[in-house]
Amino acid sequence: MSNWGSFQRDLLEQMPLILDGLVRTLQLTAVISVTGLLMGVLVFYLTLSPQAAVKRLTQAYISFFVGMPLIVLLFLMYYGLPQWGLRPSPFVVAAVGFTLNVGAYNAAYLTTAYNGLDHSELEAARAQGFSPHQVFRFITLPQVLRLSVPALTNQVIGNLKDSSVAFLIQYTELFARIQELASTNFQFFKAYCLAALVYLALVSVIVLAARALERRVAMPGLRSA
Amino acid sequence: MSFLEILAALGRGVGNTALVTLACATTGMAVGLAIASLRRTGPRALTPLLDAYVYVFRGVPLLVLLFLVYFGLPSLGLKVPPLLAMVLSLGLIAGAYLAEVFRGALDLVDPSEILAAKAMGMRPIQIFTLLELPQMLRFALPGIINEFTTILKYSPFAYTVGIPEITKEAMTLAATTLRGLEIYLAVGVLYFALYRLFLLGLHRVERHFRIPGIVPP
Amino acid sequence: MALIEIRDLVKEYDGRQVLAGVNLDLCEGDLKVVMGPSGCGKTTLLRCLNRLVDPTSGSIRVRGEEVTRPGVDVRALRQSIGFVFQQFALYRHLTVLDNVTLGLRKLRGMGPAQAHEKAAYELSRLDMAAHHDKYPAQISGGQKQRVASARALAMDPTVIVFDEPTSALDPIMSREVASMIERLNADRVTMLCVTHDLQLARHLPDRIVYLEQGRVRAEGSFADLAQDCPDAQVRTFFQHAGATA
Repeated sequence: MSNWGSFQRDLLEQMPLILDGLVRTLQLTAVISVTGLLMGVLVFYLTLSPQAAVKRLTQAYISFFVGMPLIVLLFLMYYGLPQWGLRPSPFVVAAVGFTLNVGAYNAAYLTTAYNGLDHSELEAARAQGFSPHQVFRFITLPQVLRLSVPALTNQVIGNLKDSSVAFLIQYTELFARIQELASTNFQFFKAYCLAALVYLALVSVIVLAARALERRVAMPGLRSA
Repeated sequence: MSFLEILAALGRGVGNTALVTLACATTGMAVGLAIASLRRTGPRALTPLLDAYVYVFRGVPLLVLLFLVYFGLPSLGLKVPPLLAMVLSLGLIAGAYLAEVFRGALDLVDPSEILAAKAMGMRPIQIFTLLELPQMLRFALPGIINEFTTILKYSPFAYTVGIPEITKEAMTLAATTLRGLEIYLAVGVLYFALYRLFLLGLHRVERHFRIPGIVPP
Repeated sequence: MALIEIRDLVKEYDGRQVLAGVNLDLCEGDLKVVMGPSGCGKTTLLRCLNRLVDPTSGSIRVRGEEVTRPGVDVRALRQSIGFVFQQFALYRHLTVLDNVTLGLRKLRGMGPAQAHEKAAYELSRLDMAAHHDKYPAQISGGQKQRVASARALAMDPTVIVFDEPTSALDPIMSREVASMIERLNADRVTMLCVTHDLQLARHLPDRIVYLEQGRVRAEGSFADLAQDCPDAQVRTFFQHAGATA
């Protein structure tokens, strides 16, 4: 009981730091979710290029970043770039590394959705006189994005959970702060349980938001994979 | 130190990376199958518990769970060796994801075949093991392959609990040579090669078990 | 004594009578075809026979043994009734041969060699000997129907029931199925066949049972029902079939 008391006291004492960590976790998650989506759309657009070289290059990009562990990418930038005299902050390293990684995954989801589309619709649009760019902007992308909503929102949940990895490159987000709490009173079990509960709660919020979004963008006659 | 020498030095960790990946993949399969079969043939009362398991283990970040097991449990008097800690975190999380893969795959088994088996006089357990399970596993193959490669990509976190796998070897090497760029590039190349190799092997298994007419969506 | 005696069989769903007192006898070696408009209770009748559906009241006796009372070994009953489904319901992950041996091995406890021999016999009797190693996805609808029949026959059932055996097939394959059923009839296999396919009914020599609104409205040969049936509506139903045949 006295243990519990000391844990609570330390928790309250360090609450501002923990909340600061929470904000940083949410910041990183939000940033990489947006940049990751933009990157995904860009890469997806390039995979549709008529030029074989561009196509092959983007496919290599997707394949490489999907096949490489995220943490290795972060270490490469964080411990490798100083060799070239570059010392980006942990946040920048995390943001760039995640964007490259998440973008590759999102591009793969969009490609899968695209392969399931009715391609006669796209040909009809081209026959009507739309330029390839207009076809992409007005027909392909809206449909593909809607079809990919479940996969893309799952990726956001993944982003939130994976953002905890950033503490390994000294980004003081939520998990880093909770570890500081644990090391002040050595009650590791309680501290990590607390961390788990906070992440579970945040995931639940995203799940609920994702469900609402899915209902809103649902198109009659188009089923997501 | 040349790139090849770096690769050779990192090679010492490949065995442990493979060990962690296989141990967690095996655990994931066992847990996922147990959940899927309990859901199908076990008592109804278990379902909320199984759902809760899946929800929790899909919602908690791997690092949090890994630290909870490896650094947290000893404060309750339970000391967990590093490999077991990986199995109890990455393996159990993979189990939750695979349980979902299996749930979806079970829904693809044709109800009329199940009815036919029932009309033949099969017991529910026979229907599950002789009909639903073999078909379900084939429908689930793409999901299983996907989850296994995810396990490989999360295996580097084993370094945080001191398992001398590839990433751990890289950190040691980087600390002594201060050539992080080449070293982590080599690590990336190595994981990518392992990933492709693993994928190749898994696709070979997939081809071996493929049956005409059972096509995953 | 009839092999199967159905007496006053009633099945209600939510107060609606799907079967409203059906009486039907099936003797050893009989082939009876149950016809009638859709929703007349044909499929429910079949499913009562092997207790996939439990009747509300009435009785079914198989070899004199009451099978609708509680305490009956339902799985043993099901093993004694060969059921061939509308969509064939072949096990997709098993070869043609294994579809037939599965029940022999797992339900009858036969060894692999013995089960193989029995299955090969049933498949060759239906001209499927050349297709042992194919998967269901690799054979035609008519061939699937024959495998499903061989699967049922292999269990040496008291009776084989067909639920709409031609509804998933094109006309040529339907004729194949009709000749298969005729051949089995010549071999004195007891069969009950539910169908709304008048062409199929015309080709089968034995008795037709006309079911409507959960009751047997008429019973006789195709010619009897088309020409001599006192019930004008039944006559019209079968004469129409004769005209389009």
